[in-house]
Amino acid sequence: MIEHSDLVEAIRRFVADSGAAELEELAREAFAFQVERSAPIRTLAAARGVDARRIASWREIPPVPALAFKSVDLLPAGVDPERALTFRSSGTTAERRSVHRHPFPGLYRAAIDAAFPGRCLPTRSGGAPVPMLSLIPSPVEVPDSSLSFMVGHAIDRWGAAESTYALGPAGLDAEGAADWVRERSLLPESSPCLVLATAFALAAWIDHLATVDTRLRLPRGSVVFETGGFKGRRRELTRSELVGRTETYLGVPPDRVVREYGMTELTSQLYTRALDGGDPDLFVPPHWVRVRVLDPATLEEARPGEVGLIAVFDLANLGSALHLLTEDLGVIEDGGLRLLGRARGAELRGCSLTAEEMVS
Amino acid sequence: MRAAHVLETLPLRLAGAAPTLAALSDRALLTAWGSTVAAFLDPGSPERRAIEADLVGTTRLSAPGLQAGLEAVLGGVRGEPAARLFEEAWAMREGHGGSSTVPAEGFALVILASNLPALAVQPLVAALAARRPVLLKSPTTEPVFAPAFVRALCWRLPALEGAVAAVTWPGGSEELEEPLLARAAVVVAYGDAPAIADLEARAKRLGRARFVPYGPKTSLAVVGPEADVKVAAAGLARDVALFDQRGCLSVGAVYVEEDGPHGSRRSRALADALAAELRTLARRWPPGPEGGPLDPADAGAVQQVRAEADLRGLYRPALDLSEGTVVVEPEPAMRATPGLRTVRIHPFADLSDLEAVLAPWAGRLQGTALAGASAEALAPALERLGVSRTAPPGELQSPDALWHNGGEHPLQVFV
Repeated sequence: MIEHSDLVEAIRRFVADSGAAELEELAREAFAFQVERSAPIRTLAAARGVDARRIASWREIPPVPALAFKSVDLLPAGVDPERALTFRSSGTTAERRSVHRHPFPGLYRAAIDAAFPGRCLPTRSGGAPVPMLSLIPSPVEVPDSSLSFMVGHAIDRWGAAESTYALGPAGLDAEGAADWVRERSLLPESSPCLVLATAFALAAWIDHLATVDTRLRLPRGSVVFETGGFKGRRRELTRSELVGRTETYLGVPPDRVVREYGMTELTSQLYTRALDGGDPDLFVPPHWVRVRVLDPATLEEARPGEVGLIAVFDLANLGSALHLLTEDLGVIEDGGLRLLGRARGAELRGCSLTAEEMVS
Repeated sequence: MRAAHVLETLPLRLAGAAPTLAALSDRALLTAWGSTVAAFLDPGSPERRAIEADLVGTTRLSAPGLQAGLEAVLGGVRGEPAARLFEEAWAMREGHGGSSTVPAEGFALVILASNLPALAVQPLVAALAARRPVLLKSPTTEPVFAPAFVRALCWRLPALEGAVAAVTWPGGSEELEEPLLARAAVVVAYGDAPAIADLEARAKRLGRARFVPYGPKTSLAVVGPEADVKVAAAGLARDVALFDQRGCLSVGAVYVEEDGPHGSRRSRALADALAAELRTLARRWPPGPEGGPLDPADAGAVQQVRAEADLRGLYRPALDLSEGTVVVEPEPAMRATPGLRTVRIHPFADLSDLEAVLAPWAGRLQGTALAGASAEALAPALERLGVSRTAPPGELQSPDALWHNGGEHPLQVFV
């Protein structure tokens, strides 16, 4: 039996330092571990005719559909289930929610530590803590949210003492969030801040500011971290509308708005490189993650520029599915991923396709 | 003409046309109606030829798929069912102590969906039978059928002009919609839950309109132990494939009573037979869009179902993605289908337990195809769950004008 503590440690080292190992080698070992310990992964490999001992590349690892997280426990045999973090997707229908049991919490934190600071944190003198305002609930409020876990970890690790959450069981505290920004603005030598939000919450907050005719000014150099979509919002905003309103109502220019692409089923996150002057809509994977786009009809790799289903190889997802077939559509461009939308999924049909129509 | 300008004048025009509509005879209306429906059923008619190409484009169905869909929808609202609906409307008006020629007060606003071609005819025929002036709101993604049908109808019966209208505008536009919501007597809305909730809230805030929602629903089939699975499969393939499985009466799950508690023999046999039928139907009614690739979003969602089935080692007969997907799902819980003719077949030990299994779906089930006497005996239980239509396999997606969509008499909506 493959000793997983050594493998976890090897991956953790590689996540922290790209020179510590070779990705393909770790990918082979990790896949062999999953085939050995996980009956569903073994079944899928057999169905696809893949022999774990003979793969030459991570590309040969059969992608696990995100849908499987709603029906199958992918926790490998032989790991301590008590130590596993359990994350669930947000549920919007009576359909089952995705459940991701994560037996290696250290890998989760290592992935955040390796990617988040460089992509999301404002420049700080001497690595000073950053005042953070989160419009994402705290992990205490929503312990099964992977996004809350990530935000909680970021605030614990890099946040200043005055960091706070403005979204809780009572909903969005729009005025509280506005007051927090005003206090920062009044300080004579105010440090740049980080606002963490889903696109939905950010849009709702800005709607409120617009309604009360309030234009805030975050300290120069502040960053807005934005993730997720607008599902459930009556009227969606375009990305450029949201960025424009962020500048108008928060004083944060477009090149200080970082986007994140992540999901319950993954361990790692992709970020845009806005703070480095990169394309504001192009998600770039960290060195232990690979992204490709598959032709939805054949699941063969699509050519660059062609729209397809996004598949993500995430070495840190050792505890569940290394290679994930997401429900999202995108294109590969310049080594990054441009997100285009979401496969429709199994939502109720029936005289109901006016949804987008009615709110468009 | 711009929608804003048209919409400004419509409420007054519709209200003013009520006496004329009330005075029209059933015979005149039925004659014009029957002739119009026949014209749109006939691929060679000028009316149909004028919209055929556009309709194939806007509905994203193949031309044969569109024809089959139109036959299913239009076939149910012509001839005898339409005449019976008018008779019932007359009796209803008389029964309420009023004369059949007293005009209805106010107009009906009907917000249509884009997923089914010709959906407009169902509320339209009921509104006419009830003598309720009606404004049909076509979706911007399918602005073709309803205006063309209304034009053709008014051409045959000019007295209807003013009493019926079909207009397209961007949905959710408060500026355009508020005057209509404020003045409508009835608002009928086809949409998903958030959209309907929003519309209902605005309608209630603005006026006193009766609000009739047709939210998202799904359908299923039940195959009893006495049913021949091959015969059932032939009908079910139509119930699955018609409209490329976009309708609320499209079947997405099948429950099959097995020989024993852990058996799956009949379910596998049905899966094989259904796969064969779907393969055949894919040639007769190719999925839309015709000649083009499958919609990536739809295809992607179905790939999820297929890969999940493979990961779990479930039985899945080989089918091309464009032909459909059939999975034998041992878990009894029903799950929504992603479309593209995707069906989960659930082996089931005892159909008398089905009501409990489906209970979480109460209120979101529209129809059930029933094969075999044991399955037919479930009709009362299914009705308790909100199922508004049961039919033999192959007929589920062809309701007629008297269908109580959502459990409500079509005339009650407009009277």
